[in-house]
Amino acid sequence: MTDQTLNRLRAANPYRASTAAETSRLFDRIVSTPPDRRLERAPRQYRRPVLVLVAAVVACGLLASAAYAVAGWIGGHIITGPTVQSEYTAAQKQLTLPPGYAWPPLNWPSNSVTSRGAGGSFAVSLDQDAWECYWVDAIDSGDAAAQRRAKTALDDLMTNNIVTAPAGAPEDYTPPQAAQRPTLAFADDGGYQYKQRMYAQAADGNPRLLEQSCRANGPASHG
Amino acid sequence: MTSDTDRRTAEERFREVFAHLGAVTAYARRRGSRDADEIAAETMSIAWRRFADVPRDDPLPWLYATARNLLLAERRAGSRTAGAGASEPSVPAPELHELDPQLDRALRTLTHTDRELLLLVAWEDLSPAQAARALGVQPTAVRVRLLRARRRLRAALDEERRPAPLVQIDVEGT
Repeated sequence: MTDQTLNRLRAANPYRASTAAETSRLFDRIVSTPPDRRLERAPRQYRRPVLVLVAAVVACGLLASAAYAVAGWIGGHIITGPTVQSEYTAAQKQLTLPPGYAWPPLNWPSNSVTSRGAGGSFAVSLDQDAWECYWVDAIDSGDAAAQRRAKTALDDLMTNNIVTAPAGAPEDYTPPQAAQRPTLAFADDGGYQYKQRMYAQAADGNPRLLEQSCRANGPASHG
Repeated sequence: MTSDTDRRTAEERFREVFAHLGAVTAYARRRGSRDADEIAAETMSIAWRRFADVPRDDPLPWLYATARNLLLAERRAGSRTAGAGASEPSVPAPELHELDPQLDRALRTLTHTDRELLLLVAWEDLSPAQAARALGVQPTAVRVRLLRARRRLRAALDEERRPAPLVQIDVEGT
C-alpha cells in the first residue's frame, strides 16, 4: 500500500501523536476491580483431582462388581434358565420316580440366574416328595412291598443325593458332589435329622410326620 | 484468582495490554469521538473484565474492535440527543473538520467497512490481517477488499479534481 492515494491518506492523519494522561492512576483504578472470572483457574485445578478421584472410586466399584459377576459366569458358579433346565433334565436320568409319578415341567425364567446344580437339586427335592407320598399311599393300602420300596428309595436319596451344608455356608452353597450327581443341600438347622426321624417313625408304624410332609410338599392330589 | 501471585501475574499481563492505551485514545480521536480519553479508558476496563478473550500475542485489533463498538454507542447516544433519524452509519466516520474536505468527501463515497479498513491500515498502521481481525472480516477477503477500496478512493479523488463543466449560454434572436 504505497501508492499515492494511500500516501495522501496517511498524510491526512489528524492525530499523529498518541498520548494519554493519568495512565498510572487509570491502570490502578482498573486492576482494583474484579478481573475476568474465567481466569480463576486455581480452584478448578484443585477440584479436578477430587472429581477424578471420586470418579475413579466409582469406576473401581463398578468394575469390581462386574468382574465378580463375570468371574462367576466364566467359572460356572452362576447359571441361567437354560442351564437349570438342562440340569433338571439330566437329573431325571439319574433319579427314579415311584411308579405312577411323572416329572413335572420346570418353568424357570430364562433371564433368571441361580447357582450351579440348582436343576439337580430341584429334581432331588421332587423325587423325595414323590417317594414320601408313594409311601403314604402304600401304608394306606397296606402294600408292604411298596412301603419297603419307598423306604429303600428315600434312604438311598438321603445317602447319595442329600447333604447338610457346612455351618455358616452361604445361601447359594453348592455341594462338591453336585458336579457328579444331582444333590440337594439342607441347611445346617436339623432338617436332615428331622427327615431321618420321620422315615424311622414311619418304618415303625407312626407315619404322622410323613403324612404331614406329603400333604405339605407332595403333588396336589395328596393335599 | 485465589492467590496474590495469580493476581500479580494477571496484572503484569494486563500491563502489556494497557500499554496500547495511547493508540486506542488516538484511534477514538481520529474517529471523531467527543471524549476519546473516556472511550480508551472504558476499552481498557472491558479488556480487564474480559481478559480471557483478549489475544495474548496481539491485543491491538481486539482493542480497536471494542473501541469501535463504544464509539458506535457514543454516536447513537449523540444521535438520540440531537433527535437524529435512524440513518446513522454502522462505523463511525472520521471527524469532518480535521480532514481535507476533498479527502473527506472521497472517503464518504466508500462503504463504512471499506472506509474503516483503509483507515485502520493507513492511520493505525495495522497489517491487513490485523485489520481483518479488528473488523471481523475473513483475512482471505480483506486484501481484495482493500484493493477495491483503494481504487474507489482514488477514483473519487480524481473525480474531485476534475474541473466543473462550463455552462454554455445560448443567445437567441440577435
